[in-house]
Amino acid sequence: MSSIDQLNIIVLLKQVPDIEKVKFDFKTGRLDRSSAEAVINPFDLNALEAAVEIKEKVGARITVISMGPKTAEASLRDAIARGADDAILLTDKRFAGADTLATSYTLACAIRKVSSYDLVICGEKTIDGDTAQVGPEVAEFLGVPHVAYVEEIREVKRDRILVKSKMGRNYYIIELKFPGLITVTKDVNTPRLPSLKDKIRSRKAEITVWNADSLLDLADERYFGATGSPTTVAKVYVPKAERRKGKIFRGDLERAAKEIAIVLREAHVIR
Amino acid sequence: MKRHGDVLVFAENNDGRIHPVSYELLGKGRELADSLGVDLNAVLLGWRMENEAFELIYRGADKVFLYDHPSLEEFDVIRYTQNIVKMVRETEPDIFLVGATRIGRTLAPRIAAALRTGLTADCVDLKLDEEGNLVQVRPAFSGNIMAQIVTKTRPQMATVRYKVMKMPERDTGREGEIIRMKVDVIEETGMRIIEKTRADEVEIAEADVIVSGGRGLKRPEDFSLLEELASLLGGVVGSSRPLVDAGWISKDHQVGFSGNTVKPRVYIACGISGSPQHLFGMRDSDIIIAVNKDPTAPIFNVSDYGVVGDLYEFIPLLIREVKRLIGGGKDEGEH
Amino acid sequence: MRVSIKEVIDELRSIVGKEWVVTERESMEGYLRDETPDAIRPKAAENLVLVKPSSTREVSEILRYANEALVPVFPVGGRTGLVGGCVPIEDGIILSLERMNRIEIDVENLMAVAEAGATLGDLIKAADEAGLFFPLHPGDEGAQIGGLIATNAGGVRAVKYGVMRNYVKGVEVVLPTGEVLNLGGMLIKNNMGYDLMHLIIGSEGTLCVVTKAILKLYPRSMYSVTLILPFNKREGAIRTVPQILRSGVIPLAIEYVGLKELNAAAAHLGEEWPIQSGDAQLLVILSGLSEDEVYSACERISEIAEKNSAGEALIAETRDEQERILRIRSNVYTALKKDMVDILDTTVPMSRLLDLMIKIDELSKKYGAYLPVYGHAGDGNLHIHVMKENGEIPSYADDLKREIYEATISLGGVITGEHGIGRLRIKEFHRFLSKKEINLMREIKRMFDPNNILNPGKIFP
Repeated sequence: MSSIDQLNIIVLLKQVPDIEKVKFDFKTGRLDRSSAEAVINPFDLNALEAAVEIKEKVGARITVISMGPKTAEASLRDAIARGADDAILLTDKRFAGADTLATSYTLACAIRKVSSYDLVICGEKTIDGDTAQVGPEVAEFLGVPHVAYVEEIREVKRDRILVKSKMGRNYYIIELKFPGLITVTKDVNTPRLPSLKDKIRSRKAEITVWNADSLLDLADERYFGATGSPTTVAKVYVPKAERRKGKIFRGDLERAAKEIAIVLREAHVIR
Repeated sequence: MKRHGDVLVFAENNDGRIHPVSYELLGKGRELADSLGVDLNAVLLGWRMENEAFELIYRGADKVFLYDHPSLEEFDVIRYTQNIVKMVRETEPDIFLVGATRIGRTLAPRIAAALRTGLTADCVDLKLDEEGNLVQVRPAFSGNIMAQIVTKTRPQMATVRYKVMKMPERDTGREGEIIRMKVDVIEETGMRIIEKTRADEVEIAEADVIVSGGRGLKRPEDFSLLEELASLLGGVVGSSRPLVDAGWISKDHQVGFSGNTVKPRVYIACGISGSPQHLFGMRDSDIIIAVNKDPTAPIFNVSDYGVVGDLYEFIPLLIREVKRLIGGGKDEGEH
Repeated sequence: MRVSIKEVIDELRSIVGKEWVVTERESMEGYLRDETPDAIRPKAAENLVLVKPSSTREVSEILRYANEALVPVFPVGGRTGLVGGCVPIEDGIILSLERMNRIEIDVENLMAVAEAGATLGDLIKAADEAGLFFPLHPGDEGAQIGGLIATNAGGVRAVKYGVMRNYVKGVEVVLPTGEVLNLGGMLIKNNMGYDLMHLIIGSEGTLCVVTKAILKLYPRSMYSVTLILPFNKREGAIRTVPQILRSGVIPLAIEYVGLKELNAAAAHLGEEWPIQSGDAQLLVILSGLSEDEVYSACERISEIAEKNSAGEALIAETRDEQERILRIRSNVYTALKKDMVDILDTTVPMSRLLDLMIKIDELSKKYGAYLPVYGHAGDGNLHIHVMKENGEIPSYADDLKREIYEATISLGGVITGEHGIGRLRIKEFHRFLSKKEINLMREIKRMFDPNNILNPGKIFP
């Protein structure tokens, strides 16, 4: 049970394939997720760390929510080792094939179901989808204000948070009242490593699993998964490398340097 | 023929000026609107922005929906979303384009969620299929593949990357209509700007010259060699992803899919082999110069000038030559 | 040199083509040095030419010519050595095999066939793409295969898989006469007389030039973690090392590093070291077939560490996090380098490690010197650094080094476990090795290279 003056923080987290290693299946047009280790989206680790730092400073209960296959439980356990108190996995065939809109809708329904929350923290984006849309879309579905690209958390009070974000050519210090949502960049903190003890303990931790039916008192099933997704991938292809008629210098680097310096002057970058 | 809705472009207000990405979108939007036989409109929010509204017409807009009010002087995602959503519901555009800047990427998803419509992030190309549907092209899987995305709801929304579309000419003879919209003034949004300060670091996306290092660099300190050349040319230093990942240089220097897309006048790639991920971010530079020991490196395929050799040998020579020209020293080219 | 450098250049051009012969000093700057700290790095000679052959045949022709014309040849790899081993200290030819960088992976036999100019980074990547693993990690992935063999490189991860010697199953070498030999093969067992291949491994480019090698690979471990064990007292950390090994757990690596040095390395990279308690830390890299197997090893290690008063262990599990830790560890040297006079790599039997460290403490007090010490504790291999004072080489530097070496030898150790003799350790090498051994080595050198054209001035004065 959370005490009255304790903040309730929700962290959204996605399990992603290690993008450096994962292979692409051209037949299905999807990532072959079995080809690489699955990890917590690195930006979400920053989100979790931000929550844990708030918890250490002012006290908070942290709930992590993830939507994904059953195997995403591993990432939720990892989140518990890193300081989360509760973990909820949304998993159901009916959630599958969701674009950002359907994903955000489902996550927002789950957040509502969790009970009262003060702050939702998301990573800036995921490394596999790379859209940066889920955080703001969740905020809209929840009807709460949000600040994206937070790179510093200045101050946390019972009912508000002070954050720094860069937009356009300016840095802004923004006061955001709860309930609200922030998305954080990698600059916001350096995620800590879990202790071995916490890691071992988390291997036995209980993960709450919700399916589509669990959300139906708050949600309309038609907005879940592929059916609820207005965008579809029509085609994927490998971009052709463009060829320029390049002049190649070999061996005589002296001459190359002289000629290229003249090219630079003609391009008006030597003044 | 099916009747289409108009094309709408969000005109981003950056401290009272229109962000250039919005003009680029008008250029692309004009093409799309002309093919569909519909109008191209822009929506602009801010305070005392009338002059800027004309600029949107000069760059191709038929109508500008202008929301001019002190409450809109600074970007507030709630105020912006509510006013725009209402207008979109009334005008029912088919296509709605937003620049993939931080402001655009903060705002567009909220609008899309409010409208329950599809949004495609960070597009690099837009076209129409035979039925007039918008085909949105975006890189996926770290930029090594491209995906074409279609949207079954309306409007079809997309954020579009800066500097991938052509900037249209400014034509002060163009005529259009500025429609002053009634502003929904929202006092309390839950957010308040406490402080605003100018960020003065060099933006790699804006630089005229970029000297980038890749795996051919042997150690982090050696970026100083590239810095020397960059500063002589009034440019900045860039990097391929591996070196950023290795912590050799900060992320804001990264060129490529997962970093910045750049379009400088001159791009000098030093010790960069040219993975698809990197080429994606720089291949549209005006002049590309590559230095690499490996004559088979793919970077040479996109280069105007390729130097097969060690950057540690070549760059010092180039620095010497550049200094000579700056000093107005004597070389074959001088009169 | 009997012939003029101009004649050498002409001859080399006729062998490899004009564009692969570099004659300008400033273009060969990077080839005149290795990673040895500036303060003690030997100076390169004046009249040098850099040649980059593309095939074994070209290497053979270059050596045959050099041997006939008595021109010294300095083979170089990635120039990441620390004892001046590849610095061209006499007029002659710098031989870089960087263009010979092909790698083929033989998945069936778990072997790689790599040309000498391929880098360690290339090999790691090629193995990884084939689903295999090349564990050796001496720090700088720019090192080349030829150099790794010539110096019998070590580094972290030697606890489980050994040093370079343990990976090399075959080599193609070119003798000074230009003759090409193929030694070894894709064999696990091979008893055909004296083992010339192992004689060549670690011979520092003084016997022949390695052009190609067959290297053993390992299956990629399914699961791997890195543990950080913080100790308030160094004794606890050092005592933990043999206890881990006796427990039956065989980590890839056990590294000992001080918190101060880790923080310096992290700062150098613009990072933060994840734990700020415990002045003495052990980094343990573990791998295994399953998560359960690795975790039970972790638990065992943490029990041992706790008995030796360790603080709470941290664990890095993702590739990102593990790479970050290894990267910071690998950069302790780079962070200290600018203030450094010399980096030693003394090695003692593991049981004497603590005695060596106590001795180093005494010396630190005696000379009033900051002596950063860290290293491959699981191999009994310590890097002791002699640092500058006020930007200068302190007057006691040589005495201090001599005392460290004497202490090492008296503990049953050797003055170099990894870096080799090169140019810098010749004096000590000849002091601490018996006359008989030195003479046998000299005879071997004469058999291979009677005209002393290969890397002259190294190992022998």
